[in-house]
Amino acid sequence: MADQPTDFLKDYQALAQQSWDAWTRYLQQQPAAVSPFAPPSSSTRADDFMTRSMAGAKAYADWLRSAATSGLGQGGDDWQRQMQGLFAGMGGQPFTQAFAGLDSGAAQSFFQQWQHWMQAQGSMGAMPGLAGMSGFNAMPNFNAMPNFGGMPSFSAMPGFGDATAAFGFTRERQLQQQALAAAMREYADMASRYQSLIQQANAQGFERLQAQLAEMASTDKQVDSLKGLYDLWVDAAEECYAQIALSSEFKQVYGAMVNAQMRVRQLQQQQLEAACRELGLPTRSEVTALGKRLQELRREVRSAVTQQPAGAGDAADALRAEVVALKRKLVEAQKKADASTAVVKTAKKKPAPARAAAPKKTAGAKTAARRSK
Amino acid sequence: MNVPFQFDPASLLAEISTFQQKLSAGMSNVRGMVEPEYANTPREAIYREDKLTVWHFKGDKAPTAKTPLLIVYALVNTAWMTDLQADRSLVRNLLAQGEDVYLIDWGYPDGADRWLTLDDYINGYLDRCVDAVRKHHDLEAINLLGICQGGAFSLCYTALQPEKVKNLITMVTPVDFQTPGNMLSHWTQNLDVDLFVDTMGNIPAELMNWVYLTLKPVRLNQQKYIGLVDILDNPKELENFLRMERWIFDSPDQAGEAFREFIKDFYQGNKLVKGTLTIGGKPVDLGMITQPVLNIFAEQDHLVPPDASRALAKKVGTTDYTELAFKGGHIGIYVSGRAQREVPPSIHQWLRSRD
Repeated sequence: MADQPTDFLKDYQALAQQSWDAWTRYLQQQPAAVSPFAPPSSSTRADDFMTRSMAGAKAYADWLRSAATSGLGQGGDDWQRQMQGLFAGMGGQPFTQAFAGLDSGAAQSFFQQWQHWMQAQGSMGAMPGLAGMSGFNAMPNFNAMPNFGGMPSFSAMPGFGDATAAFGFTRERQLQQQALAAAMREYADMASRYQSLIQQANAQGFERLQAQLAEMASTDKQVDSLKGLYDLWVDAAEECYAQIALSSEFKQVYGAMVNAQMRVRQLQQQQLEAACRELGLPTRSEVTALGKRLQELRREVRSAVTQQPAGAGDAADALRAEVVALKRKLVEAQKKADASTAVVKTAKKKPAPARAAAPKKTAGAKTAARRSK
Repeated sequence: MNVPFQFDPASLLAEISTFQQKLSAGMSNVRGMVEPEYANTPREAIYREDKLTVWHFKGDKAPTAKTPLLIVYALVNTAWMTDLQADRSLVRNLLAQGEDVYLIDWGYPDGADRWLTLDDYINGYLDRCVDAVRKHHDLEAINLLGICQGGAFSLCYTALQPEKVKNLITMVTPVDFQTPGNMLSHWTQNLDVDLFVDTMGNIPAELMNWVYLTLKPVRLNQQKYIGLVDILDNPKELENFLRMERWIFDSPDQAGEAFREFIKDFYQGNKLVKGTLTIGGKPVDLGMITQPVLNIFAEQDHLVPPDASRALAKKVGTTDYTELAFKGGHIGIYVSGRAQREVPPSIHQWLRSRD
């Protein structure tokens, strides 16, 4: 039995190495594509499941390894220093992976789209007949953009920079490019603010975990496993995240970030449409317009079909419609009567929730409330 | 001060090595598995239109209920949550109780459905589904069971077509969309939904799924899969887990116009509870709902907080209003063991006394 820390580490390292190698080999076989919305995605459902699950498990396994080798819980009273030491080794934030997908991963995939877009534009500009026609190769001279954590360098990306006065044959295209660059800049700003809030949630989660552990220490309670410690962290992290996610600032930043990304996408679509029109290709807006017209036609046809029997004297349908109309009038009349008599109203008694096994009929309370009006 | 954790080296080694071994060994189990099937309770289609199908389920015995029950599921995710697996099926349990169960399967909207509005869904599709069931039984009115967004649709429909609904059941249905703690609603308030829909067209399912995952990011993106390691060597539990994953991520896109209207009118305008909602130009007055109403909600629901559902009590016109609080969450109300024991019998008991 390994009863000394050195023996323990020796045993552990051998075991970990063995299983780790096998697992890593497996993971390396899995493709990991990036979607515009979420980092974990791939070609098949099985792969999607594997990539998603293994990313979380891998972060956890990393943490287990670090915890084992850090001496956490292996003696000594300064547990806070041990915790800080362990988490400092992981950039000060445990399980960044769990939060990372919320900001940098998703945002980065969007920036990758942007890069592909700019590259595609460059290629189109090189196409015969397009270069002079629509200004695909007449990109303004963009300057550096501010960067933020985890994002690709904007200065290295084509299409970013301050707007300059547009003129000449390609004036309209220059303006479009400038609008697109401005929209992208706005998105970058919003994504940066969003990322700050996520990092704030992560940091506060760790602080809350420490506070909870301190409270446990003062009441003689103990965490008896690393999984127990992990679960405590999850609770703390989720609580802090929820608090931030329900704040006014988050609401504002979240909305602004989504809106900014939509503006970028819309401007990209407009430019793509212009190119398609010039090439004589059908555009998305044309298809959309056709779909809209088709749906309107379908409504008209159905309306014509359903109205005919009533006009032909379907007595039952006519009576049914009359009953509904009368009922509606009755409700309206009741409301008017209630408003005009406006005497002291007894507040409608709030029905007490019944437990699942025994649904509680609250008709009595409601009827009483009505009578009292 | 005491120390909040003291790990015995041997037990620490055991914990870590067990995790590693389970993880390594379990990978082969996952790799060989095929996608698990849903419960697939025997059923036949009685009505089809565009992408939707109305299914009529067949139980082991003939229904004892005189009035059929039509389940109206949400447009978000698929209706198979109600018939997930043989021993976790709302549909099967309702059949076993003696109910005659129908279900609207909305299908998977595509580009052709981009312009479907809430009017098309509620006054169009839903009305024709109700008519199909009425015709099948030669009845004036049937029972409706609306789930989540489908519950909101059912409320609108019942207010607009009261003569076609005998009893109304709402499950985890939002009525007040702006109660405190409603994270989803909070995030939609500053959304420029016109720009959003004009740009995206139909709303991709993947985007919807991602938003739901970010409501509890660590729990749903990481902790859940760490817990999975414990069941990797248990084929039955692993199959159940994968079936649920299938349901969570195999979800339909949202028709753009309907999405625009739902976000604007329900989430941002909160018009259903305010009484200012119109569908297809017709006012939706919950006071018009005078038939019996059973409102079922989940006490730990993070998608539709209980208060969002409870708001119905003060709005409906009926004198026969019942609430049923389930101890569980938005999904647990269909698939947990407690749900199988408590929810279908409660629904049946309530309906039977009003059949």
